[in-house]
Amino acid sequence: MSGRFPYDDRDWTPPEHDVTAQLGLVKFKPDENSHLKIKDPRLCRETCRRKFCTHSCPAQVYRWEEEEKSISIAFEGCLECGTCRSGGCPYDNIEMKYPRGGFGVQYRFG
Amino acid sequence: MTLGDRKPVSGRFDAVIVGGGPAGLAAAYVLAEGKARVAVIERGDWPGSKNMMGGLIFTEPTAQVVPDFWKDAPLERHVTRREMWLTTGDSTLKAAYESSDFGVEPYNAFSCFRSRFDKWLAAQARAKGAVIITETLVEDLLWEHGRIAGVRTSRPEGDLEADVVILAEGVNPFLTEKAGLSKGVRPEALALGVKEVLALPREKIEDRFNLDSGSGAACEIVGEITAGIPGTGFIYTNKDTISIGVGVILKDMVDRAGSAYSLLERFKEQPQVKRLIDGASPREYLAHLIPEGGYHGMPKLFGDSVLVAGDAAGMVNAVNTEGANLALLSGMMAARTVLHAKACGNFDSYNMSRYHEQVQSSIIAKDLKLYENVTPFLSAHPHFFSLYPELASAAVKEFLTVDSLSKADKLHLITRLVRSQRPTRRFLKDLYDGWKVFS
Repeated sequence: MSGRFPYDDRDWTPPEHDVTAQLGLVKFKPDENSHLKIKDPRLCRETCRRKFCTHSCPAQVYRWEEEEKSISIAFEGCLECGTCRSGGCPYDNIEMKYPRGGFGVQYRFG
Repeated sequence: MTLGDRKPVSGRFDAVIVGGGPAGLAAAYVLAEGKARVAVIERGDWPGSKNMMGGLIFTEPTAQVVPDFWKDAPLERHVTRREMWLTTGDSTLKAAYESSDFGVEPYNAFSCFRSRFDKWLAAQARAKGAVIITETLVEDLLWEHGRIAGVRTSRPEGDLEADVVILAEGVNPFLTEKAGLSKGVRPEALALGVKEVLALPREKIEDRFNLDSGSGAACEIVGEITAGIPGTGFIYTNKDTISIGVGVILKDMVDRAGSAYSLLERFKEQPQVKRLIDGASPREYLAHLIPEGGYHGMPKLFGDSVLVAGDAAGMVNAVNTEGANLALLSGMMAARTVLHAKACGNFDSYNMSRYHEQVQSSIIAKDLKLYENVTPFLSAHPHFFSLYPELASAAVKEFLTVDSLSKADKLHLITRLVRSQRPTRRFLKDLYDGWKVFS
């Protein structure tokens, strides 16, 4: 996957801005179970250097946990945009479904 | 199927529509008006609760669905001024068009909030007789003898049978893929938009944007703010809030490990923007994908007993920032196609193809075809978002700075500057390539 991989996979750096304050403005009705899943955690650990999802997800749902060497998923704050399933993870290693009906983000403005 | 404490929904529908956005609701409205039995299935608590728009509601296409809608619908401001900004970080070159014609009924366009407008539009469709089912996710399509026969929802006994399923599910086309009509949307053909809604007293908005009471401005911003990633920023005035956001092509953003929200933060810090939003308090943060694949990004629009409309069908004109209007139009066309098929008593792909024909001969396909090469062109020429705004700004600055240089010397200086940054041959080729995109 490395040679012809069309993305610039350099070493991970943490996101330059934290969106926690912004997400605090959004109304969520979180479900019990995650609608998001890493297909193969080993790929995040061993192949993906840049941890693209930690930058591409506009809700910073995906965070690289350096100690555990894994991606954590804060699905409760997912804005359901679909970035992670459509190229936000260039390795296509994230399985995204919509939350069950009546759960998830509820925009008051939109 | 049962709907919690509401009355159960049973029997067969003429059409089941997946998704309560502009496309699905327009289809529901027209179908219900045509006395068809129609249900809209929306996964959010109300139609609109999952929706976001950076853009505008345009009067003419919206009034085709609901005449005189502006007298009743929850709208923000009628837009009397459109602005285009070219920014370099410390300077801005602006072009604006303002018309008093846009300030009188029926107006040209409105700023609005999808969450409120779509809720209203759903109520209009319901009043015509459409069934609106909320808090319900469509999980799969029902198939019968190799053709679509309805949908399977997340509710207990949640199967709904229908002669036609209209997929108006939005930019993530889960079901359109399952129907075999779409192969998925590539990140080159998607833009990620992030937006903040900032509250500011209405007089302050009108003062700062130089607006008459009730009128609004819409600004598109190109240049340094997207840090060389193809994309734009936008600012829309609402009644007592400002919508501010950034949209960037997903592939280019991911490739550079960029983050849309970081670009938005930097955008808000630019002096000419900071002045406008100073003291405003944030109310909501939103993110949404936009299908910007143009004509070739569209999936197959029909099959036996199935039609695809709106964002799910890739119907966005990224150049003119139009999408909701195309969604409304496509929903109406889908509805008319179903009504015709119902009259014939035949819902096979031959009758469904009338929808494709209507789309092809409308502004949807025509405008998308005109701009079909714009997105790939801009991805391949990122300097249109970085170098050229800077050069344009430097040229204007040189001309406006009065000093001891003669105007002829200034012209010479500007020419030399452009040449030093972009050799004449490359510059002319850029111009030619850019011209070719639109012709």
